[in-house]
Amino acid sequence: MSQIKEIKTDDAKTEEKDWEEYLKGYYEKPNSFKTWSGLDTNGIYTPKDFDQEKHYQEKVNDAGQYPYTRGIHANMFRGRLWTKREVVGIGSPADTHARLKYLAEQGGTGLNTIADVTYEMGLDADHPWALNEVGLTGVNITNIKDMETLTKDIPLDKVSWSLITAAPSATATMAQYIAVAQGAGYDISKLRGSVQNDPLHFGYCGFKPASPLDLSLKLGCDIMEYCTMNMPKWYYTTVNMYDLREQGITAVQEVAYGFGIAMCYIDELVRRGLHVDQFGPRFSFYVACHIDIFEEVAKIRAARRMWAKFMKEKYGATKPNAMHFRFAVHTSGCSLVPQQPLNNLIRVAYQALSAVLGGVQSLHCCSYDEPICLPTESSHLQALRTQQVLAYETGVTNVADPLGGSYYVESLTDKIEKKIEEVMAEIDSVGGMYEAIRTEWLDRKLEDEALLRQKEIENGEKLVVGVNIFKSAMEKKTPLGVQRVASESGLQQINDVKEQKRLRNWDKLMITMRKLRDDAVAGKNTLPSMIEATKANATTGEMVGTVREVHGYHYDPMEMINSPFHFS
Amino acid sequence: MTENNIDEMVQKILDGDRRMLARAITLVENSRKGHRNIMKQVYPHTGKAMIVGVTGAGGAGKSTLTDILIGKFRKMGKTVGVVLVDPSSPFTGGAMLGDRIRMKKHARDKGVYIRSIASRGAMGGLSRATYDIIRIIEAFGVDIVIVETLGTGQDEIDIIHLVHTCLVVFTPGMGDDIQAMKAGILEIADLIIMNKADLEGAEAFIRHLQSAVTTANIPVGAWTPKVLPSVCVSDKPANIKGHDEIIKGIYEHFDFLNKSKALDKIRFQRLELELGLILKDELQNLIFKGLKGTGLKKKYITSIIGGENDPYSVVREILDNYVLHRKK
Amino acid sequence: MKNNKQIKVIITKVGLDGHDRGAKIVVSLLKEAGMEVVYLGMFNQVEDIIQAVVDEDADVLGLSYLSGEQLIFTPKIVKEMKKNELNDVLLIVGGTIPVEDIPLLEEMGVERVFRAGSLSGEFIEYIEKNIKK
Repeated sequence: MSQIKEIKTDDAKTEEKDWEEYLKGYYEKPNSFKTWSGLDTNGIYTPKDFDQEKHYQEKVNDAGQYPYTRGIHANMFRGRLWTKREVVGIGSPADTHARLKYLAEQGGTGLNTIADVTYEMGLDADHPWALNEVGLTGVNITNIKDMETLTKDIPLDKVSWSLITAAPSATATMAQYIAVAQGAGYDISKLRGSVQNDPLHFGYCGFKPASPLDLSLKLGCDIMEYCTMNMPKWYYTTVNMYDLREQGITAVQEVAYGFGIAMCYIDELVRRGLHVDQFGPRFSFYVACHIDIFEEVAKIRAARRMWAKFMKEKYGATKPNAMHFRFAVHTSGCSLVPQQPLNNLIRVAYQALSAVLGGVQSLHCCSYDEPICLPTESSHLQALRTQQVLAYETGVTNVADPLGGSYYVESLTDKIEKKIEEVMAEIDSVGGMYEAIRTEWLDRKLEDEALLRQKEIENGEKLVVGVNIFKSAMEKKTPLGVQRVASESGLQQINDVKEQKRLRNWDKLMITMRKLRDDAVAGKNTLPSMIEATKANATTGEMVGTVREVHGYHYDPMEMINSPFHFS
Repeated sequence: MTENNIDEMVQKILDGDRRMLARAITLVENSRKGHRNIMKQVYPHTGKAMIVGVTGAGGAGKSTLTDILIGKFRKMGKTVGVVLVDPSSPFTGGAMLGDRIRMKKHARDKGVYIRSIASRGAMGGLSRATYDIIRIIEAFGVDIVIVETLGTGQDEIDIIHLVHTCLVVFTPGMGDDIQAMKAGILEIADLIIMNKADLEGAEAFIRHLQSAVTTANIPVGAWTPKVLPSVCVSDKPANIKGHDEIIKGIYEHFDFLNKSKALDKIRFQRLELELGLILKDELQNLIFKGLKGTGLKKKYITSIIGGENDPYSVVREILDNYVLHRKK
Repeated sequence: MKNNKQIKVIITKVGLDGHDRGAKIVVSLLKEAGMEVVYLGMFNQVEDIIQAVVDEDADVLGLSYLSGEQLIFTPKIVKEMKKNELNDVLLIVGGTIPVEDIPLLEEMGVERVFRAGSLSGEFIEYIEKNIKK
């Protein structure tokens, strides 16, 4: 009898211990009441927090009404759903084309391709530095044939295509896209889509050698100017706040730094004689959606309001759509972790939700394997499905700015606006964004913030499931498999590029290259001559390199190869 | 390390074995067993290289300047050893050695050896170890040794004893500290480099420095510091300038040292300082080794706190016990 | 400090990959843990890295991969390390690495892989316990 009693006592002890822990969880309080970006919040917000009527008239207003806090269109998603535009970039142009088609067949509504590291640097696939890395993180387009392969059979006059390249090499991208479109008989004024073309931020994506500041501004604005005059349906820039946010900065800094960069471009376009009413309607932004749902929505609303004010009051815009803060969202890559990878599906879903509640125009959802590898077909599809569930099942599309009027969201929007103003004043005090980048002031800020974010996780200030709470043993395999880029793919492309260089008509090429060089020397817009050079089989590296040399830079960003052209 | 190993190691270094050089430096930097032997054996093979110091406040662009100077020396067919000193954190003892990143062009040049070290608390980064490392690199066989350290020109005056020619690097926008620095600069600098000379304020600053040199009380026969502009960082190769003049200045100064008796004086002062550093190091080691585990340190300190003793008497006692009457 | 010597680490990226946020953070955290860290930044070819390991007499070489290039560059690095008799250098890798690649990398000669999301305590302790010199 006593033995049984003893056993029972032991069991009871074990059970007690477990339930203690369990009960702690039941009564648990959060350890922080700050937003992700560190803003304090109240326990509850009420109408007492501001004069609602006055506030609405002056600062909020309806969707489609200045200052557009609630959305740039009156009917928002009732008029048109956001574009479901998953980023695609994998292996060779043919590989990327295949994945594009696949997602389009599955219900994607916008095409979106991203350059690999070699293309972003403006290197041809056969550059010595490119040999190992062609196609690993995106697609390399070296010549017109590559672009033809990428766009094969796709009706360019009907689709909307986002080309994600920045740096001065974006001029090559535009030249290649336009050359192909013209070759296929399309009227380029009908083309719809965008090119990221935010070269000033590009040094922070690790591409400093490819983006000397003055050349970035010049070539970036060449694209902007050309498109404004010739491609009225094309978004010639998507100022990339997203990649800055990926460095670890706050929501406030994301908008402030993004606006600072945007204004560098606007100032230059104005200097070139364009009016904001002319180019404003196709100016766009690339925005992050991180994990704090309400903060992201409030951030977007604040950005919309502030942008409208800047365009109207600072630059004199009169056309409504020249004042619109139109944006695409890329859900936050850096918020995803490889530990317990399926959790990322949930994170992305929440982030997509905030993008839509914020009134996004075009959305890319990360695939759950973002911190692991390139998306597999399955994970890519899953990301698209995330958008589709959101669009078709949840009802969030019924109403414009559904969170508008929330006492919390309106307060937070105002608060973030104020903080953004403070950071923008800080940037002014160091001489503006161009100076901040040139003097590496911004580099220091990004490094400091990145270290802070890491420490917040290490000391438990920020909690991440699987990383510092609810950890588990490492998974045995990646749930939906691992995407590999076959080395044959890269090698094949490298050989094709070499072959194209061998076969092309050198004399015809030289005529176009001379014109390009002359235009660069004369300070003209270089995009027209790049288009012609592309048609004569000039490569990315050759075109961008020639312009670099004219501006006093080394032909090759890696300073390894020399120009094959003798222009004297 | 056994006696034979050290002999072998040194011989390999003299024969140009880079890997042994690197290892010997680690040994010496950390005062590991055998380091004294290495230095003893290496010493006769030193004294042939020209040693150039590059100092200046953080952000002045020293590393980019050093990078360019390495290139210039290489073009002249000279081999170069480089010691890059970065500050250790006084709290954690760790350091980020981030100068080498600016010298990538020379990464695979066999005529260049680059070593990054942390200051480990030494003022201006000039510890006994720094001296030792320079000597080993000299023995390995380079024509030029460039030593880059942090220094604003006020406290880190020791560099003048370590190097033949000292470059102090400034940039425009350093404000009114120039007044306070003037006396210090002229003591240290053989060449005053105005880096980032393409920036606003550079010309005015150069004039300022030039007048400071002109009005200074430079003894007859002594070297007059040269003020030289430099632009190191520009993506545009054509904008990089000033470095031929700097190289020229370095050689002019070295010639001057040879012609005047200054070189002898430098050699004397350098050894004086080196002896002092080694002596201090050895003494400290000896004493701490002796005191270790005896509980005496605690006893001494407690007695001072208790009023029974004072620091000077304690030190006298320690010296008497542990040095003058050496107990093994 | 192990063996009465401060630990010398080289942290570097390889090839064109420009994602350096993680590498820079690791450098700072290792410095705070009392190590001496040479940071080689971006755009390094394999031979440059190996030369730095030799010349700096590094105890640890840490490679940061965030563009899927780990199986391409690691074999080259390991080969050069063997050629230069750098067997006493602790080779670790970090970044966006699928679990499937971990045994492959370890087979090649990587001692340990620290994926994105690893906390500093893990890799600091690992280095301190496992340096070979």
